[in-house]
This record gives sequence, C-alpha cells and structure tokens, in this order.
Amino acid sequence: MICRKGPDICLLGFLLLSIGCVPMAETALSPGSPDDLPGCYAIFPAGPWGSVHRIEAIIRGGVSSSLLGVTKGEPSEHRLHSLLLTPEGFILFDAELREGGIAVRKAMAPFDSPAFARGLMEDVALLFLPPQVRPTTWGKEADGTRICRWEGPDGSCTEVRGSMDHGWRILRRDDQGEVIREVSLNGPFVQGLASHMELRAFKPASYRLRMTLLQAAP
Amino acid sequence: MKRSLFLSVLIVTGILSAAAGPSQDWASLKEASRNIRSVKAEFLQKRYLQILTEPLLSEGRFFFYASGSLRWEYLSPIRSVMLQKGDTIQLYHFSEGMWKPEMTQAVESRRMVLAEISQWFQGRFDESKAFKHLYSPGPPARVILAPREGINRFIHRIEIILSARPGLIDRVEIEEPGGSRTSIEFRNVEINSSLPSEIFEKP
Repeated sequence: MICRKGPDICLLGFLLLSIGCVPMAETALSPGSPDDLPGCYAIFPAGPWGSVHRIEAIIRGGVSSSLLGVTKGEPSEHRLHSLLLTPEGFILFDAELREGGIAVRKAMAPFDSPAFARGLMEDVALLFLPPQVRPTTWGKEADGTRICRWEGPDGSCTEVRGSMDHGWRILRRDDQGEVIREVSLNGPFVQGLASHMELRAFKPASYRLRMTLLQAAP
Repeated sequence: MKRSLFLSVLIVTGILSAAAGPSQDWASLKEASRNIRSVKAEFLQKRYLQILTEPLLSEGRFFFYASGSLRWEYLSPIRSVMLQKGDTIQLYHFSEGMWKPEMTQAVESRRMVLAEISQWFQGRFDESKAFKHLYSPGPPARVILAPREGINRFIHRIEIILSARPGLIDRVEIEEPGGSRTSIEFRNVEINSSLPSEIFEKP
C-alpha cells in the first residue's frame, strides 16, 4: 500500500483491508509467535510432490461428473502442473501454472475457455500452494484452533483454520469480505496431502469438488 | 468426439479380443468376428502419463451384444458405466452409494463411434473411416491400427497383441502423440454366452 496523503489514509487503508479479511463471526485470537509460523503451512506439501485424485464435480441442481485429477507441484517455485482425465483416461485438460502465468497445453470442450483454465488453476493453487507472502496474522483461538490469514494486494484474503484433530479449512474471501471458496481437508495426510478434500465455490459460479486421494508420490 | 474415439478404441479392442481365431490369420480373424453374438470380459487398464512415474491403474468389465447393446464399465478407481441399447446411450458414475447420471453425455458422438464399431465387429475393418489396419502373423500375431488423417492428432498407433489361445488377446497398446500411452490387458473373456438384457439398460 502506498501512503500518499499521510498516516490517516494509510490507517484507513489498513482498516479496509482488515474488514475484507475478517471472518463473519470472529472470535478472540491469541497472537502467535514467529515460532508458530511453520504451523500455517502444515496443510500444504513442503517439497516436490505428485498426486492422483478421484474428483466428483457437482454443479447447481446436483448434476455431477466423475473425473481423475493428476497434479504435480513444486512449492518452492510456486509451480503446478494439472491434468483432468475422464474415467477412461482421456485427457480433457492439461495446464501449468508457472511464474504467475497459466500455460494451457490441452483443453477439450467444455473445458476449453480461458476463464475455466484460470478458475481451475486458481482452485488447484488454493488447495496445494500457500500464498507466497508471509501471513498478516496468525495465532490460536481459545479452543486451540489454529488460524492464519494472508491478505492479498487486491483486498482478497486467504485464511487457514483448524487442527490435526478436527480437520482443516481454507477460506478465500474477496475484497468485500465474502467467502468465495471454502475448502475442507481431512486426514490422514499422505506425503503432506490430505486424503479427503472438498472445495465449495460460491462466486462467480457455484460448484463443489469432492476429492479423494488415490496416489501420492514425492 | 475425441473422447468418444478413445472410448471406441477401448471397446473395439475388447471386441477384437473375442474375434481372434485359433489359426491367427487375417481371414480367420474376420471369419471369427462374423460369428460373434456376444462378448463378456474383464480388463486391466494401465494409463502411462509423462507427468507420473507410475501408471494409473483401472479395472473394469464389458459386455457386448451384436444386436447393438453394450456395457463398458470401470470398477476402479472411478466406478462408471456407459450403456448402449439400440439408439439409447446413457452414462453414469457411482457416488455416495448410488448411480448418478453423468453430466456430460455426448450422445451423438458416441452414436457415431458405435456405428464405426459395428462395422469392425462384423469384420469390415477395411471400411473404417478412422483407422487403416495391418495384420502381422507374428508370433505373437498382431493387428495394428493406424489412424487416418485428423485422428492421428490424438491417437498415434494401436497395437493388438493376440493370444495363442483361440479367441483371446494378451493386451492392447494405444500410443498417443507426445509419449502418453494406454495398455489394456483382457482376461476371463467369454464369447457367445447368454447376457441378461438388464445389464444394458440399468447401471
């Protein structure tokens, strides 16, 4: 944030950013120490990894489709390579996220629009890659739930909350503070990957992805 | 269309698995295919992708009636089924303890593919609009399907390795441009057994 007109505007800006990132029912948060920071990344695979998921995609009205998702990640380079396949093994979509851009290698209808590619790769990144910046706040609630929040330059916010005992959630909010994505992750974790995940998208389109880990490799 | 052609390859290879006769020559292969009334088999599919060090394994089964009925079913890792009876084609996947209609049906393209399969099933390989064939007596005997112009953008080559046992093949290899490939091994193939009509109507 650039503070051109003095500290008041700067403060206002920080407040607006904070409002955008505040959960609807925020509870008291005991601030974490720098030693607690690694815990914010516990649900994301730390090193290079590969995975195969069974995916059930459900859109509005309960219409659904079953697919295979193959993903390879390189967290240190914020890089992902993702494929969507039919149960028969035919590749419907093949794209890479690297250096902040998306390179689509193959995309079959109805998965061939730029908006789909961008949305899918953003969803995959939300599932597997932590934000590239340091969390703005982190700590624990009274019941021991760990909470970490990352604010984006566009006013969006990513929040990770949960515990190994009770499962984890990732929330993505837009610049109005509305939840646009909610991910639940449940163990056991294999090679740093949750065995079961469910992503619920609310905006701009509403859909649900239920994912079951089939293969995990370093 | 591309997905359907991929499916057709899977299905046709299954049909051919029942068509290979004991003498393993091209004429007897065609003759055997003319005598097929039904086919029932299980399969193990290995999908090799450059992104993965280990292949994706899928298991399933299929049923075919020469009158125009087909059931191509995966049991794992995703349980799904394609049903055809006459002009009706249905797709389902199994989730939360029940069969659910698949979102993308692509019925018209599948109908086109099944018409192609019907030709092959009757031994009319030379009438295929999608593939040229080449028979190699071996051993092991092989049928090689080379895609015609257009199809070769997504299927590079298909090789069907016939078994020494009459009416069976060992496996099928489907190669794609870019290095990905699929291997399908058939087992427990039954020819001309009686199949209940419901298996082509209900998932």
